[in-house]
Amino acid sequence: MESLVYIALFSPLVGSLFAAMFGMSPKKQITGIVTSILLFISFLASVNLLMYVWENGPIHVKLMDWIVAGDMYIPFGFNVDQVTAVMMTVVTTVSTVVHIYSNGYMEHDKGFNRFFSYLSAFVFSMMVLVMSDNFLGLFIGWEGVGVCSWLLIGFWYHKEDVTRDVNPSISPAWAANEAFIMNRIADLGMLVGIFLIYWNVGSLQYDEVFKAVPSMSHGLLVAIGIFLFIGAMGKSAQFPLHTWLADAMEGPTPVSALIHAATMVTAGVYLVIRANPLYSEIPEVSYFIALVGTFVAIFAASMALVNRDLKRIIAYSTLSQLGYMFAAAGLGAYWVALFHLAAHAFFKALLFLGAGNVMHAMHDELDIFKMGGLKKVMRWTYIYMGVASLALCGIWPLAGFFSKDTILEVAFNEHTYIIWFVLWLTAGMTAFYSFRLVFLTFWSDERYKKYGFHPHEVQNYVLWAMLPLGILAIIFGWFKEDFVEFVIKLLPAYEMSEHTEHMVTTLTVLTMFIALGGIWVAFKMYSERLVRKEKVENSRIYKILSNQYYIPVFYERAISKPYAELSDIAWKEVDMQVVDATVDGIAHIIEDSGEASVQVQSGNLSDYLNWMAIGVILLTILAAIAAL
Amino acid sequence: MIGLGHYLILASILFAIGLVGVIRRKNLLMLFFATEIMLNAANVAFAAISSYHNDLTGQMFAFFIVAVAASEVAVGLGLLILLYKKYGSLDLDDYTMLKG
Amino acid sequence: MENILSVLIFFPLLAAVLGLLVDEKSIRTYGISVAAVEFLLSLWLWMAFDPNNSGFQFIEYVPLVSDFGINYYLGVDGISLFIVIMATLMTLIGIVALSIEKDLKNMIITLLFLEVAMVGVFVSLDVIVFYLFWEFSLVPMLYIIGAWGGEKRVYAAIKFFLYTFAGSLIMLVGILYIAYIYHSVSGVWSFSLTDWYALVLPLDVQKWLFWAFFLGFAIKVPMFPFHTWLPYAHGQAPTVGSVILAAVLLKMGSYGFVRFSLPLFPDASVAYIMPIAVIAIIMIIYTAMVAYAQKDMKQVIAYSSISHMGVIIIGTFAMNAEGITGSIFQMLSHGIVSGALFLLVGVIYDRRHTKLMSEFGGLASVMPKYAVIYGIMLMASVGLPLTIGFIGEYLSLAGFFAISPVMTLLAGTSIILGAVYMLSLYKKSFFGPVTNEENKKLKDLDSKELTALIPLVALVVWLGVYPKPVLVPIDNSVKALVSFMHEKAQTPAAKSIIRVSKSGKEAK
Repeated sequence: MESLVYIALFSPLVGSLFAAMFGMSPKKQITGIVTSILLFISFLASVNLLMYVWENGPIHVKLMDWIVAGDMYIPFGFNVDQVTAVMMTVVTTVSTVVHIYSNGYMEHDKGFNRFFSYLSAFVFSMMVLVMSDNFLGLFIGWEGVGVCSWLLIGFWYHKEDVTRDVNPSISPAWAANEAFIMNRIADLGMLVGIFLIYWNVGSLQYDEVFKAVPSMSHGLLVAIGIFLFIGAMGKSAQFPLHTWLADAMEGPTPVSALIHAATMVTAGVYLVIRANPLYSEIPEVSYFIALVGTFVAIFAASMALVNRDLKRIIAYSTLSQLGYMFAAAGLGAYWVALFHLAAHAFFKALLFLGAGNVMHAMHDELDIFKMGGLKKVMRWTYIYMGVASLALCGIWPLAGFFSKDTILEVAFNEHTYIIWFVLWLTAGMTAFYSFRLVFLTFWSDERYKKYGFHPHEVQNYVLWAMLPLGILAIIFGWFKEDFVEFVIKLLPAYEMSEHTEHMVTTLTVLTMFIALGGIWVAFKMYSERLVRKEKVENSRIYKILSNQYYIPVFYERAISKPYAELSDIAWKEVDMQVVDATVDGIAHIIEDSGEASVQVQSGNLSDYLNWMAIGVILLTILAAIAAL
Repeated sequence: MIGLGHYLILASILFAIGLVGVIRRKNLLMLFFATEIMLNAANVAFAAISSYHNDLTGQMFAFFIVAVAASEVAVGLGLLILLYKKYGSLDLDDYTMLKG
Repeated sequence: MENILSVLIFFPLLAAVLGLLVDEKSIRTYGISVAAVEFLLSLWLWMAFDPNNSGFQFIEYVPLVSDFGINYYLGVDGISLFIVIMATLMTLIGIVALSIEKDLKNMIITLLFLEVAMVGVFVSLDVIVFYLFWEFSLVPMLYIIGAWGGEKRVYAAIKFFLYTFAGSLIMLVGILYIAYIYHSVSGVWSFSLTDWYALVLPLDVQKWLFWAFFLGFAIKVPMFPFHTWLPYAHGQAPTVGSVILAAVLLKMGSYGFVRFSLPLFPDASVAYIMPIAVIAIIMIIYTAMVAYAQKDMKQVIAYSSISHMGVIIIGTFAMNAEGITGSIFQMLSHGIVSGALFLLVGVIYDRRHTKLMSEFGGLASVMPKYAVIYGIMLMASVGLPLTIGFIGEYLSLAGFFAISPVMTLLAGTSIILGAVYMLSLYKKSFFGPVTNEENKKLKDLDSKELTALIPLVALVVWLGVYPKPVLVPIDNSVKALVSFMHEKAQTPAAKSIIRVSKSGKEAK
């Protein structure tokens, strides 16, 4: 079984290095094929491991030592337990699909080989992240996915910076840097969490740390919990570190599907689930996590309501769904969070890939106001995106229904009715914006003709490649019972109280009601044709929402610009005018005193004799004083 | 009675006169005279102390000084004459070639 | 080879003198072969080095002026071993990558002399010999900056020389004072470091001496506010000068802290953790900001060096094996990474004769290989895990966390601010469209440049993934150092802060 672990882990790396060899040469189809095949191998290994873990329990392997210093001992150890096996399977499934899909999507791109190299490197980092058996190993993956995300967001680095009015993300390079730096802010929090663990436990291995949790003081646990969560907030783009995710849509669409929807952004949720023995001990921090998640759920959904950018809408939706996951994890229902994570990965990746098809057809146009009626020309894409949107809205019997409904039940069960209400409301908003997108893109009048587009469906094999995700988006929820049975061997079982059991039917009906209501409103407003209401679009609230609550502008004015100005002052005023000037000043004082005293050297013998006389007299006086 | 003290006072006064001359005078010839006065002040002191101690070394030394002073005057005056011939002045203010 | 250390010192010296006879045409080959042999010799030193022995090895002892206790006394331990290897490696790489045409012969001979000084500093165990090499290292660098530098080279060279020289003179006073104390305690003169280690100094004496040595080391490192010579020196120095300066000469200062300040003045070092940490944090944050404001690519890297040296200082004063091992590893990492970055800046300077970032933009499209290697070094510089930059930074910060979590948090901002200035440099120079006509036809890296850079890339990845062969010898010596300090410390505060690691205790 050990070799399976290594095959699952290193196949993507081999693929990445293989593609990297051709990184600077023109497109070679072989790179796409080889990386896809290696990813598929990794997928098979992951599924095998899942089966194995199902029957025999966790596997633990140690590759080699990494850091050995002082009492710090960090090995490259890998642990495949129930949670990891689920994550591995989800990651490799989506990755394989995205790799095959990218063969078509990136067909005409100059950086074809480079793209596959980055993409496979990302999968490798993600596998390290989920498979590692210690916190620092997780941190390797954590930073690794950050770099791959930086490379992939900035994939079209040659594009120029434009103003925020033209493109809210400014440029791919800008968005990439923003994502990296924001993640770094969170990573510092996580590092501090790791230091706290190290100095109090003496080890960073999960098993030893979690064994030591009961013996640690409550305050310490709270501190560790908060700092680790700060790390999770960056990677999972939770408020206030959320702005990078929408800007990350500058990357190629398969990247958005894989990294910024299905896998990397869920790393934060994974961390909270992984550290469940810790978070179970600190309900106040967990409750805070749930609140943050709930807030982000509605906050992101509100921005999606008015956005016109196809990918940004889905990005906000991702943000919102991550909020749901954190809400579930924060309320102690870890398996529910993991279940939603997996379901979300499937249908959201599908949604993004569908959006990629649309973009391809529309020559990279993203404005849904310029689309419409595409279902005639893009039937399969329409079906995929329709299915994915239904799953996202939580319509029975698709995947989203089972996972999302359970989150709402958990919120109800915990008597956190405000969280329940907000999440319930968000469910309605989700349904509305998802179907606003679907109707404006695929139904209504064919506005694209006015702009001279000639959309066409993508290659057949790309559509076939998306099929597994389509099927999973439909059927994944049906395996809920098996899933629960599997993961609660590791995660705490979450039982609903009897009261909730009674209410389940009512709750389900309520949720279905608001979801269908959202779809109905979207249908009424957009299915016929796009009617733009000047009054609504000029209203203050619309402006606020479409400008993302002015948060990016605020960050720029309150942080980026002052930092740049302060840096300039630090250099020009402080470093040059004060520090360096002091050094030079001392040198000048010495030089000036020399210049001043050189006058003594007048060349006039008479002056010298005078000085000599003064010297003699002074010495005599000194001698006299000394003698006395 | 004229004692050692008187001689030493005389020597000091002479020395002071010479010193003031060295400090104040600008003419090289005058500087020469001033140094001569200082040398002779030393001579007076040597001779007086020598007789006071009944030790001839001091007086012997005085002769040395007289000899040195004489040769110095010979060489020095020679140089001064050359200097005067070349530059037409013996004023120290005119010689500042060593200015730093 | 018993006297490998003497060979390491005198081989380049002899080669430099003989180099005067070599004619101009074949001097490059000559220089490369000498540096390569020297590098192989230093690798041999590593092979023969016993990683489980934490004390000094390959000791050589020849009395020079025995009346005054001055001896030719050499030895290496895990702390100095890898810095020596890095010095020989960076000299080799620097000579391989040399792109100057003017007075090539003089340059190569100067570099060999510099190599003598660098190796000498790190292997000397006699303080006078150490001091001689320490000062001698200034001369070749003065010449390199002054003769091959940019427009303001004379100003920069003199500033570099006088500033560091002033600091070392104060250190010399400290050295003489310790020797005097040693003489009054034991009745004999000795400048041997191992003798001095045994000397227990009263706390107030330690404090004065600490600051005397501090000035010498701090200017060399350079620590805020003594850092202003560095941007000038880097700004004016030729590429090879900057590479050696950043990679090796700065490490003399931080090495001095580990070799002298900590074991000689353990109580004073502990007493001054806070002021030093404050200075280090200012170095980290303030110079990172200054680096962000720079318009010249080379100056960004020059200021980033200061910022990274701040992390090294923080790690050194962590007073535990994690932090000190980390800081020494970070010295190696910074040497390799900043050396590579200066080489990379040199590459573009050779082509365009400017270092201003506003002149570039979109270089990634024109020079892909260059962009890839630059990118790898950039990631190592910002401390990405699995590159060499992470391990040292992580261990240094982790070590200091035991002293003060809040200060570690502040020092940890280096991972954010480092990313800010490095990524903005990369974006300005490499991303975006190619706007400048002159950049459209730039040649990518040639074989000479690749030969110099690829070994460094390999090192960055290798030591990032598998640092153990380097980390273990360092760690053994550091553990011995820490437990020695713990035993030697007199004040209870120092005893409690100097943390002996558990595994170290068992080994004893």
